[in-house]
Amino acid sequence: MAAFFVRRLLHGFIVVALVATIVFVLIRAAPGDPFSGAMDDPSVTEAIREAWRHAYGLDRPIFEQFVSYVRSMFHGDLGFSILLKRPVVYVLRDALPNTLLLMSIGLVSGFLLGIEVAIAQVRNLGKKTDKILGGISITFFSIPDFWLALLIFVGLGYWLPGRIFPLGGVVDVVNYDNFGFWARAWDRITHLILPSLTLTLLYFPLFARHQRAALIDTLPSEYMTTARAKGVSESALIRKHALRNSLLPVVTLVGVAFPALFAGAVFVEKVFSWPGMGLRIVESIGGRDYPLLTASVIFASAFVVAGSILADVVHLWLDPRLRDDR
Amino acid sequence: MSVVRLVALILALGLAACTGEKNSVATSATGGTLVISVGGDPESLFPPLASTTTGQMVGDLVYDRLAEIGDSLNTVGDAGFQPRLAKSWDWSADSLSIAFHVDPRARWHDNKAVTAGDVALTYRIYSDSTNGSPFGTALANIDSVTATDSLTATIWFHAKSPMQFYDAVNTMLILPEHLLANVSASALRENAIARNPIGTGRYRFVQWNAGQSIELAADTANYRGRPRLDRVIMTIAPDFSAAVTRLLGGEADLIEQVPAVSIDAIAKDTAVRLLLANGLDYNFVQLNLNDPKNANRPHRLFGDRELRRALTMVLDRRGIVRNAYDSLASVAVGPTVRAYPTTDTTLRQIPFARDAAMRILDSLGWKDTNGDGVRDRNGMPLEFDLLVPSVSKARNTMAAVIQEQLRKAGVKVNVDKLDIPAFVDRENKRNFDAVMGGWHVEPSPGGIRQTWASAGAQTGGTNYGSYRNGTFDAEVDSALASTTLAGRRKFFTAAYQTIIDDAPAIWLAEPKRVMAVHKRINTVGVRPDAWWANVADWSIPADRRIARDRSIRAR
Repeated sequence: MAAFFVRRLLHGFIVVALVATIVFVLIRAAPGDPFSGAMDDPSVTEAIREAWRHAYGLDRPIFEQFVSYVRSMFHGDLGFSILLKRPVVYVLRDALPNTLLLMSIGLVSGFLLGIEVAIAQVRNLGKKTDKILGGISITFFSIPDFWLALLIFVGLGYWLPGRIFPLGGVVDVVNYDNFGFWARAWDRITHLILPSLTLTLLYFPLFARHQRAALIDTLPSEYMTTARAKGVSESALIRKHALRNSLLPVVTLVGVAFPALFAGAVFVEKVFSWPGMGLRIVESIGGRDYPLLTASVIFASAFVVAGSILADVVHLWLDPRLRDDR
Repeated sequence: MSVVRLVALILALGLAACTGEKNSVATSATGGTLVISVGGDPESLFPPLASTTTGQMVGDLVYDRLAEIGDSLNTVGDAGFQPRLAKSWDWSADSLSIAFHVDPRARWHDNKAVTAGDVALTYRIYSDSTNGSPFGTALANIDSVTATDSLTATIWFHAKSPMQFYDAVNTMLILPEHLLANVSASALRENAIARNPIGTGRYRFVQWNAGQSIELAADTANYRGRPRLDRVIMTIAPDFSAAVTRLLGGEADLIEQVPAVSIDAIAKDTAVRLLLANGLDYNFVQLNLNDPKNANRPHRLFGDRELRRALTMVLDRRGIVRNAYDSLASVAVGPTVRAYPTTDTTLRQIPFARDAAMRILDSLGWKDTNGDGVRDRNGMPLEFDLLVPSVSKARNTMAAVIQEQLRKAGVKVNVDKLDIPAFVDRENKRNFDAVMGGWHVEPSPGGIRQTWASAGAQTGGTNYGSYRNGTFDAEVDSALASTTLAGRRKFFTAAYQTIIDDAPAIWLAEPKRVMAVHKRINTVGVRPDAWWANVADWSIPADRRIARDRSIRAR
């Protein structure tokens, strides 16, 4: 088992290193550079751009830049964001907690809601409830994320009488510093509700549809027939017997969705003015912020590897038969 | 935790929140909070490196110049300039130096006195090319800055120039020597002051929460007087429509550029009003006069002046601008803006005359010989690529209309949308047929030398289309050398007429600045170059204040 994890970690390290190298080269091969972005400003001349390139070492050969980057990275230095004029570590430190908080709430609640919807559908298989819930799932599955985000933002944030929910941001920027502990906690919760509701509604259909299919596959199993013959209630049958065995494919989905914990959801962040990683990554691509983009991709690929290892661990926990195969 | 307990906890938190705000009631003529919605974080709050609007706004509110340009935007001599850190100034007899007398009451926000040494250090930082300040080039005419005594800073110039005063005072926001004297050039961008500025302005910096907000508070003991608003908060809303919703929802007080699609909604709202002002932007289709593959050869199409003029005549510029901006932009009169006192808006334009243009194209030999709908000559189609920055909705709309109008005249346009770095890269390399370009200009029209005269046509310059005309250059030089407004206007009118007649670009739109402001705020002195310049004099009458106006930061 230990050898398996060491092997997976080693593979993961190679994947991250390869991705980092490819991104490092590709982003520099794209037309323009971080200093091409000052459009419409005649005061930014080519001579000034040259001075900036020199200051950030971008006038050196790409191999030299790469060696220097790798050396710095092993010393914990991820570089200096050209766009935001501060160390990349600080940029990640500010944005990552916001993304982790929002995405984990969105993913967990989407997962739980998806499971509950799937159970409700399976218990009413072929009936009206199954069809209605299936229709709702399909609807939310088909709605583009930016549109749903805007709908919730305007519908529940602006049109709802009383304006219960704040219109974006992480906190009330006017009053937050004057609040006491509980008021701050409440302020943060209210700011989280609409963006996390959006993500929940975006994620749950995915889990619901897969879980429903997995449960339907599990129900005809012999052990289910045995349990039913023993007089186990329909609810317990599904929740205690069928669910655990049908969770495996959905857990794989969670592993796939895990990198979103780092990368965030760009449109949701944009609409709700949520200062997370998604927006930062998009800005770094548009602004050719090489250090921030490279660091973001390294972290994102590390999350992909971690998600895949995590999915394996949960698989092993859920299905003891797999432990021997490793 | 059961659902009931969870709901109880949330309700408890809500109740606690209702009593958590520590308000302080402002009853005097001063007070209130202005919440400005901005699109993103500034890259830096260090004035020599702050090139985004938000960075410049914070810089202008937290720091001071020696003197401030007047509302007329006059840049000749010192007429109209208002004293700021310098309470007065004396010109030398030969005009090669100006002695600025620092206001002895002026203090930094950390309570240190302002000295002439601050001015000298500021010049060194701005002009040091290793710092890469985009504003350094404006100081090229300054030879040195010396501290004659603790409160007198003398700026020495290489040569007399009508704009030497403007160049000297408008470029530099004065920086604190006591905090920056020992900081090396390479360390400046990472210095603490780049994120926690300490200035002399009427607002002092409080905090910057990355991606969320920037907060400024009134400097109540400021030498120029306490500002009327207690706080100015910039809240970051990257999405335009979300920003408008936050304004209409009462979470923000001001949007500095309202998208055209939101004008109706804002106009109907009873709490918000629109504020229209002339802007300092104009845009155009810039034609590359040189062959993109060989700069020593004229462009296969645009090297021909008559063809350029004919293409301009095909286009209904008024219709194009209306399509993209509705009524929120004027048709550009040339490479200038109406806000300049030197701009003559009655300049003779190339008329919109499609039939006449078609006849000119025919006479130039551009005819559709093979019936494919595209004119050609000697086997070469009348076809070109038009680069458009993908982020600009207005320019994309205009490009589509231009494409259609030219198609009807037998001219094929291939619209190529690029992201900004790729777009600017192609401009810099002169690797284009035509671009949907635009300039945001300074209060001084002097930048035209770089953007349209021969000086900017060199590699590294910003005259991307490589337009060269000796007459135009001479007229611009004469205008910039003129020491009277009337003289400047006369020569600039001649220069603009020359370039309009040569048609190296098709002048499109001069967008207006359309701001939306909450009605409770009294705005005064909205300048075209910096609407925020007089925010310290904006106010909110006591009877119109809302909850956030009474909430001041706990200290």
